[in-house]
This record gives sequence, C-alpha cells and structure tokens, in this order.
Amino acid sequence: MDIIILILIVFFAGAVLTAFSEKISTLVQDILFLGTLIVPAILFFTGVEMNTDTIISFNKVPLNLGMTPLSYYFALIVMGLAVLTGVYTVGQMKGKKRKGYFYLNYILSIGAMFGILMSKDLVSFFIFWEIMTWASYLIVIYNGKNVQKIGIKYFVMSAIGAYAMLMAIVLTHSLTGSFLISDLISGFGSWDHGMQILIPVLLLVGFGVKAAIMPLHIWAPDAYSNSPMSYTAIFSGALSKMGVYGMVIVFLALLTKVPEGALIRDIVAWMAAITAAISTLYAIKQDDAKRLLAFSSIGQLGYIVIGVAIGTPMAMLAGLFLAFMHGVFKSTLFMVVGAVEKQTGTTDFTEITGLIRKMPWTFLAALISIIALAGIPPLGGFVGKWMLYESLIQSDHFMLVTLVFFSSTAAFLYCYKILFGFFLGQEEKEWSHVKEAPALMVVPMIILSIISVVLGTFPQLIMKPINAAMTFYGMPDTYGVLWKESMLFNKWGSDIALTPIMYGIMAIFIVVAIFLFFRNRSRTRYVTTKDISTSGEIPKEHENLTFTRGFFQPFLRAVEPVMRKQIDKYMLSFAQGIEDLFEFTRRIYNGNGQSYAIYAMIFLIILLVLGKNLFG
Amino acid sequence: MVGSPVLFVAIPLLAAFIIPLTGMMWKNSVRVIPGLVLAFMFFLSISLMGYVNEHGTIVEVLAGWKPPIGINLVFSPFTGFLTTLMTFLGFIVWLYSYKFKRNVDFEPSMKYFMLLMLLVTGSVGIVLTGDIFNMFVFIEIVSISGYGLTSFYTRRDSAEAAFKFLFMGAIASTFLLIAIMIIYSQLGTLNIADIAEKMPMMDHKLKVLSLVFFILAIGVEAEIFPLNGWAPDVYTEAPGPIGAAFAGIVVKAAIYASVRLVYTMYDFSGAFDLFIIIGLITFIMAETTALRQDRLKRMLAYSSIGQMGLVMIAFGIGTKEGVYAALFLMFNHAIIKSLLFFSGSYLVFNKKNKYIKHVNGMGKYLPITSVLFTIGAFAIIGLPPFAGFWSKLAILTAAADNKMVVLIAVILIISILEAVYYLRVVNRIYFYDKKEKTEPKKPSLNALVAMISLGVIVLVIGFYPDLISGILDRAAADLLDKGNYIKDVLTLNK
Amino acid sequence: MEKYLNILNIAIYGSAVLLMLIGLYGALTKKSLIKIVLGLSILDSGVHLLMIAIGYLKDGTAPIFSPGNEDKMNIMVDPIPQALVLTAIVIGFGVTAVALSLVIRLYRHHNTLRIDEIKKLKW
Repeated sequence: MDIIILILIVFFAGAVLTAFSEKISTLVQDILFLGTLIVPAILFFTGVEMNTDTIISFNKVPLNLGMTPLSYYFALIVMGLAVLTGVYTVGQMKGKKRKGYFYLNYILSIGAMFGILMSKDLVSFFIFWEIMTWASYLIVIYNGKNVQKIGIKYFVMSAIGAYAMLMAIVLTHSLTGSFLISDLISGFGSWDHGMQILIPVLLLVGFGVKAAIMPLHIWAPDAYSNSPMSYTAIFSGALSKMGVYGMVIVFLALLTKVPEGALIRDIVAWMAAITAAISTLYAIKQDDAKRLLAFSSIGQLGYIVIGVAIGTPMAMLAGLFLAFMHGVFKSTLFMVVGAVEKQTGTTDFTEITGLIRKMPWTFLAALISIIALAGIPPLGGFVGKWMLYESLIQSDHFMLVTLVFFSSTAAFLYCYKILFGFFLGQEEKEWSHVKEAPALMVVPMIILSIISVVLGTFPQLIMKPINAAMTFYGMPDTYGVLWKESMLFNKWGSDIALTPIMYGIMAIFIVVAIFLFFRNRSRTRYVTTKDISTSGEIPKEHENLTFTRGFFQPFLRAVEPVMRKQIDKYMLSFAQGIEDLFEFTRRIYNGNGQSYAIYAMIFLIILLVLGKNLFG
Repeated sequence: MVGSPVLFVAIPLLAAFIIPLTGMMWKNSVRVIPGLVLAFMFFLSISLMGYVNEHGTIVEVLAGWKPPIGINLVFSPFTGFLTTLMTFLGFIVWLYSYKFKRNVDFEPSMKYFMLLMLLVTGSVGIVLTGDIFNMFVFIEIVSISGYGLTSFYTRRDSAEAAFKFLFMGAIASTFLLIAIMIIYSQLGTLNIADIAEKMPMMDHKLKVLSLVFFILAIGVEAEIFPLNGWAPDVYTEAPGPIGAAFAGIVVKAAIYASVRLVYTMYDFSGAFDLFIIIGLITFIMAETTALRQDRLKRMLAYSSIGQMGLVMIAFGIGTKEGVYAALFLMFNHAIIKSLLFFSGSYLVFNKKNKYIKHVNGMGKYLPITSVLFTIGAFAIIGLPPFAGFWSKLAILTAAADNKMVVLIAVILIISILEAVYYLRVVNRIYFYDKKEKTEPKKPSLNALVAMISLGVIVLVIGFYPDLISGILDRAAADLLDKGNYIKDVLTLNK
Repeated sequence: MEKYLNILNIAIYGSAVLLMLIGLYGALTKKSLIKIVLGLSILDSGVHLLMIAIGYLKDGTAPIFSPGNEDKMNIMVDPIPQALVLTAIVIGFGVTAVALSLVIRLYRHHNTLRIDEIKKLKW
C-alpha cells in the first residue's frame, strides 16, 4: 500500500479509536493518541518519497496525492509540532472532560493538514482543508464558552475563505478540465485576463483567512485564545501555515505569470504589514496572555506573508524561514501559557507574578522563545528578520520596511510583558503553592527551545529544504549563494557570519550575569507585592499592586486613535444588518393561507406576462 | 425479469384495502403489512434496476392497450433511480415509525401506516407513469394522503397546516387539469412520449399557457418560491417521519414531474433559464428565512425547500453534468434531510412547539442521536468527507463549465448562511446546558437502526462516491436522451 | 346553423370560464373558510364543464360500439374527456370532503371561520 495513504489511514482510524477508547481507560487513550501522532511521523520521515503520485481513482474526480519539496518543508513543521505538542497535550489534558472529543479533532486536524500538504489536486486539497476547518472549529468551541459568537465567527470566516477557494477550484476546472494543481500552474499563463486575476485573488482570500491577514483576521484572536493552549500551539504554529503554504504556491507559481502580479503582491504585502503593525499594538494592550499571544501570532504571520508576497528569492526565503521559526517559538510560548494556566488556573498578567522560582524550566523555555520572537541574535528569529529587512530594502520597499521595523520594535513591549508578567516581579502569597508543570509538558517546551537555539546558529538545516522547495517552483537556487545577497552569511552562504562575535558577546554577558548573581545572592530578599513602603501608605488587602497592572499606559494612550476603529465591529454590525434584513423578508410567509393562494395567482400572471420573453 | 413495474402500484393499493380486514384478526398487522409492502417495493425496484442496466428501459402496458392510447409505466434508469430512492426512504420511514408513540391506539396507527403507504405509492406512480392524466391522479393520491398525514395529530395547528396545504393543493390540481385538457384538446393524446413527439405541432400560445399552468400546479408540490407557503407549516405540524417523507419522497416526485415536462414534453430552451431563476429565488428566500427560525422542524423545512431550489438550479443548467449534480443533490437531500428530521424529532421529542432551544445539552443525554444529527448537519452544509460535499462540488463544477460565475458566488454565499444556522443548533446540542428537568426520550431500537443506516450511507457515499456515481451517470444520460424515451414508449421496446 | 353552433360553443366555454373565475374569486377574496371551500368546489366544476365541452360533438352519440352502430364512429363524442371528468369529479369530491372535515376541526379549535384569524404558523 502506498505510504501516504497508509499515513492517512493511521491518522483517521487512530482518531476514531482514540475517541472511543475513552471507555477503556485514560492510559490506553493517551497511548493511542501519542501512537497515532508518532507512527505517522516515523512513517513520514522514513518512507515518503518526493514526486511519487498516488491516485485514488474516483471516476468523476480522481484524487492525486504526492509530495513536493514545498510540501515536504511544511510537513516538517506539521509533523514535528504534532508529535511535540501531542506529548504536551497528554500532560495538559490530564483529568479534563471530553478528552475523546478533543483528541479526535486534534488528530483529525493534524491528519487533514498532512493531507493538504500531500494533495496534488485541488479537490483533495479542498477536502482536507475543510476537514481541518471543521475539526479545528470543534476544538475552538471545546471550552463551551461563548460558542455561538466565537465559534460561528470562526466558521463563517473560514467558510468565506473556503468557498472563495472552492469557486476558484471549479473555475479552474472549467478552464483546464482537470483539478490537478500542476495543470492549474501550467495552464494559467494562457487563460483570459479576467480569470488570471480572479482565480489568484479568490485563492488568496481563501488562504488569507487561515493566515489571518487583515481584514480576514477577525476570527483569530478569539479562536486562538479560546481553544485549549495545547491546540493553539498547533493552531498558530501549524494550521495557520497552511494558509502560508497556499500563498507560496499562488505567489511563486501563478502570479509570476501575469503583469498585475506585482500590484497584487504589493497590496497583499501592505495588508500584511498593516496587520503586523496593528495587531502588535493590540497585543501590547492585552492583559491576558492568551489574547496577547493570539495578536502576536497574527502579527508574526504578517511578517511571513510579507516575505512570501514580495517574492524575491531572499524575501521568500525569509518568509519560509520565519514560518518555521514562528512554528517553533510561538508554539513554545503557547505551551508556556498553557503550563502556567494549568498550574495556576489563570492567564491574567495582573494576577500572576514571580513564577520564576516556581517554574524555572517553563521560564527558560519562555525566555528563549521570547528572544527568538523578538529577533535578538543569536536565535533563529534574528536570522529570519534580518533576511526579511534586507530583502525589503533590496527590493526598494522602504515604506514597508519602516512599518515592519516599527511593529517589530513595538513587539519588544509585549515580549517584555510576557516575561515580566508571569515570571519576574515580586512573589504573591497566592501563588506560593505553584509547582513546575509535569515533565510531559516541560520536555516538549525545552526541545522546541533547543531547536530555536540551534537554528540560530545552523540555519542551513532548514535552508536546504526551503531552497529545494523554491527551486521546485522555478526560483533561482539560493543555497550556498546567499553570501552574495546578504551580509548576514559567510562566504559559504549558509552559516551566519556573525556567529563568533555574537557568541563572544553572549559569553561576556553570561559571565557578568553569573558574577552578579553570585555576588548578590546572599543579599537577596524576596518580597511580595504588598511588601512596599512608598510614601508611608500601607496597601490594602485586595488592592492589586501587581507589577504588570497598567503596563505601557502612556504608550497606549498615544496609539489609542489608531486602535479605536475595530474592523470586526463593522463586520459584526454588517452581519447583524443582514440578519435583520432577512427577518424582514421572511415576513412574506405571513401565515394566511389565502395570501399564499394570491401569491400563486401573482406568480401565474408574472409567468404569463414573461412567457413571451422566456419561451420566445 | 423479476417482477413488473405495475406491482409498484397494484400491491400497495391492494394492501391498503386488506389492512383493515387483517387488522381485525391481528392488530399488529396494520403495522407489519405496510412495512412488508414497502420492503417488497424496494427490493422490486432494486432487482428491476439490475434488469434495466442490462436490457434497457422497461415499458409496461396496462390492460392491454398499447401506447399512445393506454396507460403505460416506464421504468428507465432515471425513473428507476428515483423509484429506488423513494421506496428505500419509504421503508426507512416505516422502520423509523414502527413503534409510533400513538400506537397504543389501533385506529390512528392503521391510518398512519396506510396513508404513508399511499404517499409512497402515489409518488412512485408519478415517477413511473407515462401518462399525464394518470400522473394527475397520482398527484391527487399523494396530496390527499398528505392532507391526512399532516392533520394526523389532533392538535390545534395541524389542521391549520393541512388546510393551507389543501387550499394550495386544490388550486394546483385545478390548473393541472386545465393544462392537461389544453394539451388533450390540441394534440388528442395524454401519453407523455406521444405529446413530446407531437409538441411541435401545437399552437404556440396554448403551448406557453399549458406550460405555465403545469409549472404552477407542479410548483406547489415542488415547493418553489411563491407557492411554498404551506410547506413549512406542514413539515412543522406533521409527525416527524412524515416531514422526512415529504422532503425525501413527495418533493422528489414533484421535481421529477417538472423535469419531465421541461426535458421531455416541451421544447422550450427558455424553460431551463426559468428553472434557474425560480430555483435561485427559492434557494435564497428559503435559506434566508431559515436563518432566524426558532422551531427546529421549521428550520429543517426551510432548509429542505432551499435544497430543492438548488436541485432546480442544477436541472436548469441542463447539461449532463448539471443533471448529474441535480440527481446527486436529490439523493443526498433525501438521505440527509431524512436523517436530520429523524434525529431532530428525537432531540425535541414531546416538547411543546419543538423550539430549537429544546435541543440544549442533548449531546449528553442522547449521544448517538446527537452525533447523527451533527453528521447530518455537516453533510448538508457540504463539508467533506460527508456525502453532501460531492453533490455541492458537482453542481458548482457544472455551473462553472457553463461560465455561470455569479450563480456560483450566490450559491456559495447562501451556503454560508446555511452553515450558520445548522451550526447554531449543533452548538446548542453540545455546549448549552439543559434547562428542563424532564428526561429526554431515548430512541427505540427500530428508530435507531433507521437513523444509523442513513448515517452510514452518508459516510460511505462521502468516502466513496463512486458507489453511486455510475447509477447517476446512467440516469442523467437517460433523462437527456429524449428521442430514446419516445422511441422506447411508442415502439414498446420490451 | 353554423352561427348557432358558434354561439353554443361560446356559451359553453364561456360559462365554464365564468364558473372558474367565480370560483377563483370566491376562494381568493372571501374570508370564510366555508366560502373558500365552496369557491374551490365551483372552480372544480368549471374545469369539469370545460373538459366535457372539449369532448362535445354536435349531434354526437354515446361512444358505445353496439350492433348496428359500427358506422357512427365519426359522430361519437370523444370518450376520453368523459372518463377523465368522472375521475376528476370523484377526486374533487374527495378533496372537498377532506376540506370540510378540516374546516370543522379548525372551527372547534379556533371558534372562528375567518381564514385571516387562523395564522398561528407563520414566518
């Protein structure tokens, strides 16, 4: 049997088995769950070969599966994260209700993502896309909180995207007579002009929803923060990358062939840049770690999309590199928040402080990921961001680079907030019972942190697959020639040129830090938030004096006018208006049998009058 | 050949007369015999389908009068497919309602099952008959048994629904008669094949007039937009399984009749555009009206009407892909909507007015029923890997091949609304807390079997559409081949 | 003679159409359920008359082949409309009966016969 089909069967059968094994015992269920994630990963890394076609032959719409270099790269992200997050999930979901339901949808969505990546035709792409959508929808509403609003919002936005995509798919079929992606790409150049614009735009709408590009992002903050954190790690780390994956194909293979491509590229890049800037501002404003990370995710996805949309080899490289890095460090951060939530029961910055001594490993993971997120050398995030800036400057997008630079700098503010809010600051008595998260949760975080560190020094580890993916779609080979383009790399084109300097600086910092730590150790006194004596006032018992309360007030006041206009408010009132309109139109069914008979007569008369036109 | 198509009509009518007699001896027979009859009809149609696949269309002549004078029944791949679908659903509806809650009484259950049987018979008759007056008779059989079933519960509102249905039905039947008489006075024949052959001879004005009357009359049963005011009321007030029977059987028969008119009898190409316009308006009006319903069955009713609008659109596209899509939609709609009506009835069982809010928190109490409802909802929205996806893909592909870009966009936008109201119910099932103290009624075994078999079909077709696509292809080819139909009937290719 | 036939034709077809219009008017405008049912019934009768008129033949005989009558084929009235009208009358009767029984039930529940007051099921 073909290995891709085998993997899919393992996924889907495993999902069902895991769901039903709830009746047997939790241990069996957990093992089944992990097995269903690990076995396909092993099969994938050992068995799947490039460019082999597997055809499931339905006589109307045959489904083609197979792997391309691009999908291999994204599958690396999905499969790796799936396993690591899976381990974490077992720890986090311990003792929760509806585990079967959660596991089922978790595995289904992973399997669907794998299916998306392995799809060589648009129908199977769409099928797996929709499975992914509804499985993730079911997880978004898992908490049962505000399902009608958050869940429906997510689903409607997803449906808008998916149906835009479906429209593009059927139009493609009408033009080429086949659903194959390769036929779409090869035939695209010869279509008439309207379709050459319409189809990429429809596809971009579809992918843009999952990649949370303004104004299609309105589902993301709620959905990200409302699903369990172990899934949000997947959501933000892997699921959103499916949108990026699709965009890469559109930008690499389709839009290079039409003259308006450049305009669409610029529009998408600008939308992504605005997304990045505004969502960064929103992230700074949040007091809830989940929402903060959700907005931060949207912002980071903005960078990735900018890189993909600009589409010069360097920018594409940067976008894809950042996609991987974002998967790594943002998942870690969501896991950190999940661990904090599990141990303390809340994710509010204004309530939790000083967990650094209680949860040191979690803190370490958070610290490394934050460094990666902020783009500080020597971690992986730095490499990606550097390449992004450089490519933007090289391709003369100076306004864009300013905006990206602004949001990237502003991102420091919320990074600081995460680190300080949870881990630093004075200790509260309230949290003195908190312990480190279970090993099942800590280990994946640490592994992901290590990956962040390693990729900062050895980016070629993933540059190689990226390069293969890009050359597959006809881009020039960048591997080994990067030193000509970027000052970041040494003359072999893969290693970071600055590595020795960076590590030298780091070593000095660490030595100084250790020296200070040991010198001050004996004099250290741990204080609580109430242990202060400003102006002789003694704080009351319930006064919230947590460090992070009212963080960045002046800054927020400064940017407040930008943030006052919320696009989702407009969208909601639009939806409301439409519902009211339908409330009005349905009054035509007024309940009076006689009116219905009169409608029938009117219908008759209309038909008779129109008869001449209709029946010539 | 295993049996003759005439048994589809003869056996149920005979059984309808026998039931009261056997009921005197063995009370349960009033429930068992209709089931046996429906099962027989199902197996008969399956075996005839096998025969038709090998030997071509069966034309059965009644009472020795050859067409075009006598009445004939036509069992072709197209009518055979619909017959199989209807009899299968009829059997499932019977199975579901076998332990009917009012069955404590002998009288009502006898009436219920007899009327159900007649409803199926009439619908099958509409599909099989090759004679328009005979079709009128079958439509009346369906309507009258429909009136009876609608007013089955002696509640206050069921009579109202039945009266509205009757009002529209009576007007429809009048216009149907006039249309038939116009045709007869002009062409001197009632045989569909003969009419189709002679149609070019007919006076143009009368041709238009008769077609308009036909559309009005059949449109009432087919629930097209301004004529469907009765439908939601009937679906709401009739017993749950009857809603499924209406959605799955009666409407299919009416759609068949209108398709036969446009594809075979008349030669107007503008009628296809009319189908698209009517279908689109029906689809939009029904789905938007369903959005804010507060009663579950009413919501399902509007959704069902909307789906039939989609079927009309697909038939209006007129190409082979379009017909294929339409037939696939009909099949899916029959299966999925029945599943929704069945499981939905249990979710709001015994609740006054059957509001949507009554499903709150049922996921915990009726797990299997809830899962089945969810599968049905996902399938009807058209989410893969459920059956509904393939039909949606088929209709969109057919529309795209004809460059109907706006049509695709409208269908997809309205589909989003459909997703919204179904998901609102699904969310309620799983994520709201149950308010009332009353214990929900668990489905009886027979109902569970009926629902699960429908759910399994939804999944199987979803994973393996080839199971049915061959049959649909043949049926579509058969419908489009007008000359072959005329030849089959008039030269009695037996 | 021709003229007479024409007038007769017009009279028959005219009265059929008139009956139908009267019935339709009654069904569509009268508020009383009974009157609506009556209207539908009149509408039906109009159609039946129309059907008979289509099969009518001046000086025609009954469409029965009996000994000594074989040559009168061309002056027999068309039998099919008559057969059809019989069926239609029976069906119309059945529908009227069902309608009246429903009217009785509606009256019991609502204590009114006005159709515009019986509209609990709507929207």
